[in-house]
Amino acid sequence: MSDLIEVRNLGKTYRKATGLFKHKEIIALQQVSFTLQAGETLAVVGETGSGKSTLAKLLVGIEQPDQGEILYAGNQINCSEYRKTNQFIRYIFQDAARSLNPNQKIAEILHAVLRYSTVLSAQQREQKISLTLRLLGLLNEHANYYPHMFSGGQLQRVALARALILDPKVLILDEALTALDPSLRAQIVNLLLELQQKTGIAYLLITNQLRLVRHFADQTMVLHQGQVLEYGPTAEVFLQPKHDFSRKLIGSAQY
Amino acid sequence: MQLLDIRNLTLELETPDGIVRAVDRVNLSLREGEIRGLVGESGSGKSLIAKAIMGVLHQRWHISADRFSWCGEDLLRLPYQRQREIISRDIAMIYQEPSRSMDPTAPVGEQLAESIPDHRLEGVSWWQKGFFRRKRAINLLHKVGIRDHQAVLHSYPYQLSEGVCQKISIAMAIAKDPKLLIADEPTTALESTTQAQLFRLLASFNQLKGTSILLISHELETVAKNTDTVSVLYCGQLVEAGETAELLKNPRHPYTDALIRSVPEFQPDLGFKQQLYALHGSIPTLQHLPIGCRLGPRCPNARRECVKTPQLERQQNHFYSCHFPIHRGGADE
Repeated sequence: MSDLIEVRNLGKTYRKATGLFKHKEIIALQQVSFTLQAGETLAVVGETGSGKSTLAKLLVGIEQPDQGEILYAGNQINCSEYRKTNQFIRYIFQDAARSLNPNQKIAEILHAVLRYSTVLSAQQREQKISLTLRLLGLLNEHANYYPHMFSGGQLQRVALARALILDPKVLILDEALTALDPSLRAQIVNLLLELQQKTGIAYLLITNQLRLVRHFADQTMVLHQGQVLEYGPTAEVFLQPKHDFSRKLIGSAQY
Repeated sequence: MQLLDIRNLTLELETPDGIVRAVDRVNLSLREGEIRGLVGESGSGKSLIAKAIMGVLHQRWHISADRFSWCGEDLLRLPYQRQREIISRDIAMIYQEPSRSMDPTAPVGEQLAESIPDHRLEGVSWWQKGFFRRKRAINLLHKVGIRDHQAVLHSYPYQLSEGVCQKISIAMAIAKDPKLLIADEPTTALESTTQAQLFRLLASFNQLKGTSILLISHELETVAKNTDTVSVLYCGQLVEAGETAELLKNPRHPYTDALIRSVPEFQPDLGFKQQLYALHGSIPTLQHLPIGCRLGPRCPNARRECVKTPQLERQQNHFYSCHFPIHRGGADE
């Protein structure tokens, strides 16, 4: 069986103009390769500026890579085919409250997603929405609510609903669990674990919370200044970090 | 010596829909040299309590308490001017987002120099004051672990990283040698390596100067590692308080229990990718608080009696307010 996602030598450089003719090159990512199987979780840890978010943006196609390639089930993904790839790879933002349009009802937000990427009729869309809402522990009535009427944990569920409504194969969680309160975070983590068991969805978890990584992730990757320092099964990385920096990072979680 | 002793602190806000009681009869006490944690989720009123202690709550809030004493003086019954004097002399606070709580239009050095109180420079001739002030500011920066003081003194807050900003706000707070340092979620904006640094810094001030620290956080695990005693709040009610180690080992209130069990780290037996323990439902908003015990609708052991607010009960140094406390007698010991 081929890998669900395979990333080969991915690299990204940002150019920043420092003068009229001069420019500086900032290397955000360098030589990143990994694979992700269905039903698995890969955690990406690192400090700010280590290229975690850049990696996520490259995968969903917000940014275009300079080097390397991303393969989805053996086929290469192009940025221009966003409409096709966005059904497999979905992305959740850090702050659910700010990533939902306050002027639209939840139903409108979800309809828009379906209208953009599927060919379902209005009635089928309606059905799909109520199915997804129930999957995430929300009620049908919630479709007529505006985002501000939800609490933090419910909003995160709505954001999840928006991501999961297309039945993706990969979900990228960019610090999506950091801002939640502990009891709500436990709920969402449970929900994610349950979904993984049921549907075999793969997660790419970008986070700073190493405790969660340990519980949740099959594989862990430590990024530092755009380079992969460690990549392997979570238990191995935590027990025997090879690099000084990752040792410091992992040690800081246990101080 | 008892530094801070608060009994039945109640904070109320008048809204068009009636009075909202955001903090409901909370007790809090702090001894000299103690590090106390204040744990609660968003909306539990922990920041409000900190602001009430600092006396910086908006005027619309009604503060009432049976006792609100600071070193034996009841702050609420003192005239406003005197109250400000005491608070500004003895209590300092570190705010949540350091780069946003500093003046963006002034260099850091100026702000730091400004926070050094005049009585620290007594006996210095007026023409030397500026020099000594600057010297002291540099000294403070060294104390919080910033070695490159020249670069930092002349930069504006936006030019510095969040970790450095947090260190500077600590430097400002300790400029007056406070007796109590309130740290309101000091590490939420920071990365885990910087977080460890910061807690070491706070601990060293506590050891060297005997500063009491009130550490406010929503993460139980960070509080557990760095405090002697801890108070747990839920929706403005004090749920449980006691010594940290004892409370973690033997939680009496279902909410504390749930908090502990939802952290994988405290659960060595928990298998990989196993379901975490979670309370169902979500935190109620201030407009729709349940009566009685506010955990009621989410509590696994709730019964009919729970519509009455439980009294705070005491077992040695362990306080809890629950009609049906959890008993773990010897079963898992």
